[in-house]
Amino acid sequence: MTSSPVSHTRMAGLGPMAAIEARRLARHPVFLVGVVLAFVVLGLIYFLDDRAVLGDGMSIPVIPAFFIGLTSLVAMARLTRSTEAAVEAVATAPGTEARRTTALVVACLVPFAAGAAFIAVLLVMATVRGVAPQEWWFGTMPDWQVWSILVALGPVACMGGGLLGVLTGRWVRFPGAAAVILVAVVLISRVGSEPLAHGDLSELRLWVPWAMFHSGTMTDGTQVLFAGNPAFYLGYVLCLCAAAALVAIWHDRTARTAQLRTAIVAVIVVGLACLALAMTTGNEDNLTSDPIPSQISE
Amino acid sequence: MNAVELSGVTKAYGRTRALDQVDLSFDRGVTGLLGPNGAGKTTLLRIVATSIAADAGEISLLGRNPHGSHAEVTAIRRQLGYLPQELGYPSDMTAFGFVEYVAVLKEWNDRRRRHVEVRRVLDLVGLGDLATKRVAKLSGGQRRRVALAQALLGDPQILVLDEPTTGLDPSQRADLRRTLSVIAGQCAVLLSTHQTEDVAALCERVVVLADGTVRFDGAVADLVATAAGRVWLSDEPGPDALVSWRTGTGRHHVVGGTPPPGAAATEPTLEDAYLLMLGADARSVRSPA
Repeated sequence: MTSSPVSHTRMAGLGPMAAIEARRLARHPVFLVGVVLAFVVLGLIYFLDDRAVLGDGMSIPVIPAFFIGLTSLVAMARLTRSTEAAVEAVATAPGTEARRTTALVVACLVPFAAGAAFIAVLLVMATVRGVAPQEWWFGTMPDWQVWSILVALGPVACMGGGLLGVLTGRWVRFPGAAAVILVAVVLISRVGSEPLAHGDLSELRLWVPWAMFHSGTMTDGTQVLFAGNPAFYLGYVLCLCAAAALVAIWHDRTARTAQLRTAIVAVIVVGLACLALAMTTGNEDNLTSDPIPSQISE
Repeated sequence: MNAVELSGVTKAYGRTRALDQVDLSFDRGVTGLLGPNGAGKTTLLRIVATSIAADAGEISLLGRNPHGSHAEVTAIRRQLGYLPQELGYPSDMTAFGFVEYVAVLKEWNDRRRRHVEVRRVLDLVGLGDLATKRVAKLSGGQRRRVALAQALLGDPQILVLDEPTTGLDPSQRADLRRTLSVIAGQCAVLLSTHQTEDVAALCERVVVLADGTVRFDGAVADLVATAAGRVWLSDEPGPDALVSWRTGTGRHHVVGGTPPPGAAATEPTLEDAYLLMLGADARSVRSPA
């Protein structure tokens, strides 16, 4: 007789299971392609741009959000669904669906780490090459705003894509669901924010899961920093991430406890509060930079 | 108390009654479950495996109630191995990876001990050399053995096997019988199969299920004995035989009905007895040649 395992807490085995899921995601071809493309594009920006300084640093987080976040969505949705093929066997093991979902949620730290690595490389590039004095960046705006924007629109967006994939895998069952959700999230983020961004009510754009804070360099060489409080926006997207994770766990009927219900409601309430504060505090209006001579279009 | 005790168990899917007042109990050893398609075998197995709940009746697994608290169900599942009839696999997982995944779900949290256990069960089913191969690239029989390996993790006290020999070649089936015969000394095995040879080779006890009810529950030899004097070898097919077929020798194996002229009685097999037990249902199990 072999000895039987001994750890009997409700979330026992979460660490090993999360490690397995993290390894699976890190080896997933869709995710790998996304990560490679993100860094290739960053490299192209650095090496092919012949300007003396790094431009549009605050816009660059769109690259990991697009390549890593969206591929994480697809990869995590597929990973989540893939083990359901063996549900007859795994459902009769002591480990519950909630535990499997939690492990997948923890594995979303992999895209977060990839997004963080991307931002780290961006910061190194900005340090090496420098940025224009007029650029919206460290020194021209409060550090906490810069960090909030970089973190919210980079690593957190990457993690959010993965979590949305887990949510999709648990709740949306039709073939191609991940692709549909991917298109929907891109459309919502663009259509729901861009028409508002340059208007008087720019802060209303912040309801979307990925909202611009930086316009990129305009044809006259100026840059626009959009209204709103990036720190509270970071809080808002973190709450969206938490809500995605908790609602994915809610799919397991045995996990539908009063505690989980309270946690979901609390996250929603805090998220809405953060959104309200993101819209009503911070920069009241869009701010336009001085023209950056090196970036004025001919 | 037996490891598994079911009393008056009933389960319906809509208007279809899959199980109707089933009483069954068994302990260590292999209990064979025979029955035609739609007899309720898989439903019964899934209930014993805690995969689904019965609508009515009392169930005790290892002295615990599978309809009880979460803790009660979890305690049962720690001692349970289940091989479902059909099992899909994540396409990216190797044989080792898949069994390890289930091992983690079965709370083998220590990495070193878990890996030892995964290798043990893979060796037990003869897949030690193929552990690093993706499950998607294994043959049907090899995949079946991966499924069996996950069921054997941790030496469960109750082992529920739904068609374990499907897709296995004769030598693999012989290997599986050898493995199960070793395991059966330590746990209660419920084996559902269409292969009467497997039951004859492995089980000391057999349960015949048809239309959701138990038609027979007893020793294999007792089931075979019910067919004594009702099976013949003949030059002609039986005119009113339950089933008859032409064998390789050119003679007809006649089961049930009246013996054709010149027929010689022959030793019944478990399959003959099973067919006779099913009566008219047997025609859907064994089509005459």
